[in-house]
Amino acid sequence: MYRSFVGLEIHVQLLTQTKIFCGCRAGFGDEPNTNVCPVCMGYPGVLPTLNGEAIEMAYTVARALNCELTPECSFDRKNYFYPDLPKNYQISQYHAPLGRQGYLDLEFRKKKKRVRIHQIHLEEDAGKMIHAGDMSLLDYNRTGTPLLEIVTEPDLEIGEEAEALLQELRRIVRYLGVCDGNMEEGSLRCDANVSVNLEGAGLGSKVEIKNLNSSRFVRKALNFEIERQEEILERGGTVAQETRLWNENRDQSESMRTKESAHDYRYFPEPDLPHFHADAAFLRNVEERQVELPAERRARFQEEWKLSVPQTEFLCDEKETADCFELVLAEEPELDPEMVVTWLAGDVRKQLNRRGWSLTESPLTPPRLAQLLRLLAEGTIHGKIAKQTLELLFEGGRNSSLDPIEIIEEQGWKQIAHRSELEPFILSVIEQHEGAAEQVRQGESKPVGFLMGQVMKATEGRAEPAAAQALLQELLLGAPPAREPRPESRAGSEATAPRRSPRIPTIQVLSFGGAIAGHRREDGLVEPGDLVSLGELFRQDPDLPEQIVFEEIRLGRFLSEEITPADWSALLTRLASTLEERSVQGIVVAHGTDTLAYTAGLVYWFFADTSVPIVLTAGAVPTDEGERGESVANLRRAVQVAAGAEAGIHVVYGGEDFMPVNLRFERIAPSPEGETGSFRTWNPVGLRRRGAALAPTARSVTREVLTAVLESALRRTFVVRVFPGMPGETLIALMDAGIRYFILEIYDTGTANLRETPFSLRKALVRGRERGVSFFCTSQQEGVVDFSGYVTAHELWRNGAIPMGGLTTESAFTRLVAAQVEAALVGAGGSSDSGAGDRGYQSEEEFRERVLHLMT
Amino acid sequence: MTDTESLEEYLAFIRHQDRETGSFLEIAVRPGAAGAAGATGDPAEHPAGESPEGSPPPPPRLPLPLAVKDNIAVRGYRLTCGSSMLENLVSPYTATAVERLERAGARVVGKTNLDEFGMGSATENTPLGRTVNPWNHDFVAGGSSGGSAAAVAQQLVPVALGSDTGGSIRQPAAFCGVYGLKPTYGTVSRYGLVAYASSLEVIGVLGADIGTVARTYRLMSGVDGMDHSSVDPPPDGGSPDPVRTVGVLRGDLGLTPEVARNYAETEQVLQARGYRIKPVELTTLEYVVPAYYTIATAEASANLARYNGVRYGYRPDYAENPEELVRKARSEAFGREVKLRILLGTYVLRSGFQDQYYTQAQKIRTLIRRELEQIYREVDVILMPVFPTQAFPRADAEGAPAFARLDEFQQKVADRFTCTANLAALPALTVPTGLARGLPLGMQLMGPAFSEERLFAVAEDLAREMPIQFPRSSISWPEWRAAGGGS
Amino acid sequence: MDSLELRTTADMAMLDLDDSGLAELEDAVSRVLEYFTTMAAIDVKNVEPTTHALITGNRTRRDQPASLALADDVLEQAADLEDRLISIPNVL
Repeated sequence: MYRSFVGLEIHVQLLTQTKIFCGCRAGFGDEPNTNVCPVCMGYPGVLPTLNGEAIEMAYTVARALNCELTPECSFDRKNYFYPDLPKNYQISQYHAPLGRQGYLDLEFRKKKKRVRIHQIHLEEDAGKMIHAGDMSLLDYNRTGTPLLEIVTEPDLEIGEEAEALLQELRRIVRYLGVCDGNMEEGSLRCDANVSVNLEGAGLGSKVEIKNLNSSRFVRKALNFEIERQEEILERGGTVAQETRLWNENRDQSESMRTKESAHDYRYFPEPDLPHFHADAAFLRNVEERQVELPAERRARFQEEWKLSVPQTEFLCDEKETADCFELVLAEEPELDPEMVVTWLAGDVRKQLNRRGWSLTESPLTPPRLAQLLRLLAEGTIHGKIAKQTLELLFEGGRNSSLDPIEIIEEQGWKQIAHRSELEPFILSVIEQHEGAAEQVRQGESKPVGFLMGQVMKATEGRAEPAAAQALLQELLLGAPPAREPRPESRAGSEATAPRRSPRIPTIQVLSFGGAIAGHRREDGLVEPGDLVSLGELFRQDPDLPEQIVFEEIRLGRFLSEEITPADWSALLTRLASTLEERSVQGIVVAHGTDTLAYTAGLVYWFFADTSVPIVLTAGAVPTDEGERGESVANLRRAVQVAAGAEAGIHVVYGGEDFMPVNLRFERIAPSPEGETGSFRTWNPVGLRRRGAALAPTARSVTREVLTAVLESALRRTFVVRVFPGMPGETLIALMDAGIRYFILEIYDTGTANLRETPFSLRKALVRGRERGVSFFCTSQQEGVVDFSGYVTAHELWRNGAIPMGGLTTESAFTRLVAAQVEAALVGAGGSSDSGAGDRGYQSEEEFRERVLHLMT
Repeated sequence: MTDTESLEEYLAFIRHQDRETGSFLEIAVRPGAAGAAGATGDPAEHPAGESPEGSPPPPPRLPLPLAVKDNIAVRGYRLTCGSSMLENLVSPYTATAVERLERAGARVVGKTNLDEFGMGSATENTPLGRTVNPWNHDFVAGGSSGGSAAAVAQQLVPVALGSDTGGSIRQPAAFCGVYGLKPTYGTVSRYGLVAYASSLEVIGVLGADIGTVARTYRLMSGVDGMDHSSVDPPPDGGSPDPVRTVGVLRGDLGLTPEVARNYAETEQVLQARGYRIKPVELTTLEYVVPAYYTIATAEASANLARYNGVRYGYRPDYAENPEELVRKARSEAFGREVKLRILLGTYVLRSGFQDQYYTQAQKIRTLIRRELEQIYREVDVILMPVFPTQAFPRADAEGAPAFARLDEFQQKVADRFTCTANLAALPALTVPTGLARGLPLGMQLMGPAFSEERLFAVAEDLAREMPIQFPRSSISWPEWRAAGGGS
Repeated sequence: MDSLELRTTADMAMLDLDDSGLAELEDAVSRVLEYFTTMAAIDVKNVEPTTHALITGNRTRRDQPASLALADDVLEQAADLEDRLISIPNVL
C-alpha cells in the first residue's frame, strides 16, 4: 500500500496600491508596460524601497495562519536568469522569512487534519512572457507585484484535499482583504511537491509540479502525479527527482528539462534593504487586521443561527455574504435566519450573477435586504412581489437610490390584507360565481379553492391568502368558530408569516399509489386503486379539526414498488406548483410503504424549504378495510400533522412523526395489535425536517423535462452493497454500461476490501477515478462513515471515495439523484426546453463537479 | 552675457583642455536637467575655477559646474558605466545626489570616464575612453573614478562626483593630487549610482578645494526616500569635539620609498600642528582585500545580472532564443575584468562554497568593524596611506619604467588601505600631500562613522602646510578667459 | 578551480567562454580564489556576519502611487518593440 505526501507552495498576490519595491501601480489589466519605471524594469542604479502595506499584509496572513512571527525578518536575493525577471534576481526571503511553523485546520470529506505551514515569505512577482511566432513578447506590468509565498509541509495526500486547502486559503486571504483570490488572473497561484512511497517508508523522491493555475488543475495534476509515481513504483522503478509542468490541454504533466546549475539560487542577503523589525506598534496593526476566519465563522453560524452545514458554507464562502447575513439580522432580529439564507443563496445570488456584481458592489445594502424581508415576513408583500422588487432594485443600477419600500409603493405592490380592502374583491367574486358559492354554503369544500383562485386573479395576486380565505369563508359561512391558533414558529418564513385572521385549513391530499389507495381483490391480493375520499372518510371524525377543506388529487395508480421516474416527476412537479400557488395549509402524500424511505428523501432534497407541512404516509393495507386498519389511522394522523404541525417534511407512520431522511423500513417485531411493520430512523442526531433545498432550480421545470432528467440521472446511478468476495470487475462492467455515480454500501464506518486481488474494490476505484466515476459511501450498519478509523477506510479516502457520513443508502441515493437533476438543470440554465441534462456544461467533468459540490 | 552663452564657452574650455587627458566621456549641458539654470544656492557662490592664487579678474558668476562619473545617472545624459553594454543607454532619471546639487544651483557639464562598472584601479578597463594622468600622460589617473580625478586635477571643474567601492575615489585622488572624499556608507543616497557592490559603495566628491568638497558633501548627503539604506548623519556631525589624536600605522606596510617618506612627512606636519600621534595596529589588515573582493564580486555577480540585452543596452546581432540572446549579450559586451569578477562572485555564492568564501568574508567584516571601533576609542582619526605606490604607468605607455608597473592581481592586493573603510562603512578622505618624481602624493584620513566634519578640519589644517598643486599643463577657467579662451 | 567548475559557474552567470578565454580566465580566477582561501586562517567562531554595516531601523514606503510617468522613457531604450511589448527572438 502506498502513501502519498503532497506539499503546496501557494503564491498570493497582495492587493496593494503599488508594487512592493517601487511606486508603480500594482494591478491587472492595464495596457502592457504602462505600470513600469526604472526601478521595476531593473535599470542601472535603482534601488528597492519596501512597501509598508505589503509587509503589514504579509504579517497579517502569517498571523491568521498561526505562524510564529519573525521579530526581525530580512530579504535575500534569489539568483536566476529569466527574461521576465528584470534584475535576473528576485528579492525574496530566505534566511529570515516573516512567518514560520503555522498551521491551517482543514476538514475534507469528514477527515479533519492540521496542515502545517512551513513558512511564509514575501517576494516580488516577475513579468509575463508571451510567445508569438518566432519571438517572445515581454510585459513587465506585473513585475514587482507583492507576492506572498505560503509553503506547506507535505501533509496533504490527494488532489481533492489539496484543492480543498487551496480553496480554504483563498477564502482566508479574501476574508483578510489582502488578495482577490482570482486564479484565472493569476492573483493566486500554486506549485506542488509530490512524493509517493510505500506505507511506512517515509518520503520518496520529490517531484515538483508547476503551473497549477486553477484549483481544478491542482486536483487533476496531483492525482495524475500520485498515480504516475505509484505506477512507476509498482513496476519496480524509481521516481526521478524533477520538475514537471502541468499541461492543461493534455491533462498531463510533462518533464521540464532543466540544467542542474539552474537549481542553485545562490541566495544571499539583499544589501539594499534593511532588516524589518516587527515592533509592538506594527504588531498591534497586524492584530487589528485580524478578522473572524471562515472556519470559525462557519462553526459560529451553525451554533448561533442553527444553520445547516451547506447553508453556513454558502454564507461563509464570501465574507461579504456572511457580513450581509449578520447585518440583516442585526437590523431585523425577528427575521427567520433560514429565510435570509434562502434569499441570499437564491434570488439575490441570481441577480448578482446575472450582472457580474459582488454583493458590496450591488445596490442591495443589508438594510435594504432587511427591509424587503421584513415586508415579506409581515405580509405586506408576498414572495413574487419581493422578487420583482429585488429585480427593480437591481435594475436601478449600482447606485440606485430607491429603497424596497419606495419601489413597492411606487409600483402599488402592497399586499391586500386588510379586511376593508379585501371585502370588495371577495364580494364581487361571490357575486360572479354564485353557483360555487352556494356549494360551499351547502358544506362542499372543493369550490373554496376555486373561489380563492378567483380572488387572487381579481387582486393580481396581491391578496394575502390566509386573510382572504378567512374572509371568504366568513362571508359565505358566517363568523368562524374560535380555534386554537397554529403554533407560531419564528417569524419570517413564508409559511408561518403572522396570520391576521383565524383560518380554516385547506389540506391537499395527493394519492400516490400504494396499497393505502388500493383494493383487496377477491383472491386476497392487493391491487392499486384510487384514493378513497378523505372528505368522506373523515366527515365525522372527532379527532380532526372541523371544516377541513380537502383537495384530493390522484397522481398514480400503482403499488409502491412500481414507482417509475415519471411517477416521481408527477409528484415533484405537483408539489412544486401547489407550494408556488400558496393555496393550501398542508399537503398529505398517501404513499406505499416499500419505497416510502426513498420518496421521503427525494421530497426532502427538493422541498426542504417548504412553507407548509408536507406529510408522507403509507399503509400496507387498503383503507377500505375498515377504520381499525392501520392505513386509516396513518391517514388521520397525517391530516392532523398537515393541518397543525410546523412546516417541513414529515413522515407519519404507526403513530409516529419521522424525519424525512435516514428513514429505514425495518420490520420491527410485530406489535401485539398485529401491526405489520414499521420504520426506524438511523443516526437521528442533528436531522431536520426543514432546511435549504438542494434542488431549487429543478422545481421550476415541467413534468416532462423533469421526467427526462430523472431518467437520465437514474441511468447513471447505481447502488452497490459490498459483500465479501465481490469482484471489482463487476463494477467496471457497470461503468462500461454507463454508470457514473455509485452509492457503495460498505461495512461499518467505512471499510471494504482494497487488497490487490480481483475480489476487491481497489481496481474499480482506480479505474473509476480515471474515468470520472464517483463513489459515495454509506454503511450497511447504523453508523457514521468517516474513513478515519481503519487503514482500509483511509485507502478508500485516498482513492477518492466520498463518505456520506450518517446518511443511509436511501437518503444518499435520493440526494445523489436530486443533485444530478439540479446540476443538469442549472447547467441548462434552468430552462425547461432542455431535457438533455448536462447540455449546458463544457464537459462531463464540470457537471460532475457540480454534483460533487451538491453532495458534500 | 547670458548664462547659456557662458556655459557654452565653459564647455568649449573643457573640450579644449580635455583633449589629451581624456577625463570626459560626454561633455554637455542638458537644457532639461533638473537644476534650473540661474538657481542660486550655496555652491553658486563659488565661481568656477577658483584658483588658490586667486589673482585673475573675477569671472562671470556661474552655477557650480559639476562633472559626474559615468556610473551615476543624470537624466538625458548617457549612463555608459564605461561599458559596451550600456554604450548607448540614455538615463531616464537622475541620481538623488545629483538632483540635490542641481537644485542647489550646480550644473552638470559632463560625464567622466571610469573603469567598466567601477571595476579597476587605473581607468584602463574600458573600451569607451582613454584617460591619462594630467601630471604625466604615461601614467594612469587611477581608478575607477579616474576621469573625475583627472578632470579636477586638470582644473576643468572645481568638483566632480565619483563612487568609492574599495578606494575608487581616494586612489585616483591621490594619483592626481586632489581631495577625494569617501563618505560614511549611507550618508549619500546611492539612488542613481549604478550598483557594483551595494553594501560597500557610496557616492563621494573629488575636488580641488577642501571647502568646496565639504559644502558639496553637505548638500548631497542626508536620508533619501529612494534609498532605504541611506541614513542621516547625526545632527552634531557625529563628533563635536575637535581632533586631537591621530592614529598612525607602524612597521613594514609594503610602501614604495616615496610613499613611505611622504607618510612620515605628513605625520610630522600634523604633529607640528599640535596633533598627538598614536601608533595603532590593524591586525585584520591582511584579510581586508580577500574579504573585500569576495563580498564585492558576490554582490557584483547579482548586480550585473540585469544586463541581458532584453530591456535596454547592447543587443547582439542575432540570436535564436532568449537564452542565446542573453548569453551573447553578456559575453560580447562585458569586458574581461567584469567577466572575471562575475565569475568569482558567482562562484563564492554557490551552494557548497558559500560558507567558505562569502560567509567567511562577512564574518571577517565583523571583526574588522570591531577592531576599528576599538581603535577609535583611542584615536580620533587614522592617517593612512591610500595606495602603496604613486600612480603607476599605463599599460600602453612604452616609455614608462617596468619596475613601477602593477599587474591586475597586484593592483587588487594594493587596495588594502582603501577597502578597510568600505568594509567598515567609515568615512575617509584623501588629501594631497605633495609631489615626488613629478607625480602627486596623497594620504588618507579615516574616521569613525559620520566624522566627515573632523576629516575636513584636519584636511584644512594640513592644507596650510601642504597646499594643493596643479600640473603645468592645466589652466583654470579664469585664466583661460583672461587669456582669451584658448585662442 | 578546474575548468569544469569554471564552466558550470560561467553557465550560472550566463557567460559563454571560448576555449582560449577559458584557459586564461581559469588562471586568473584560480589565482584570486587561492588568495581568498587565506581567509580561512582567521578564527571567526561565534562571529556573526555583517550583512548591513550601518543600516538600522525600519524603512518602509507609503503605499501611494508615484506619478513618475517614466514608462515611455523606459520603453524607449528597448531595442525591439511590438506595440508596447518588448520583443526578443524565440525560434521554437
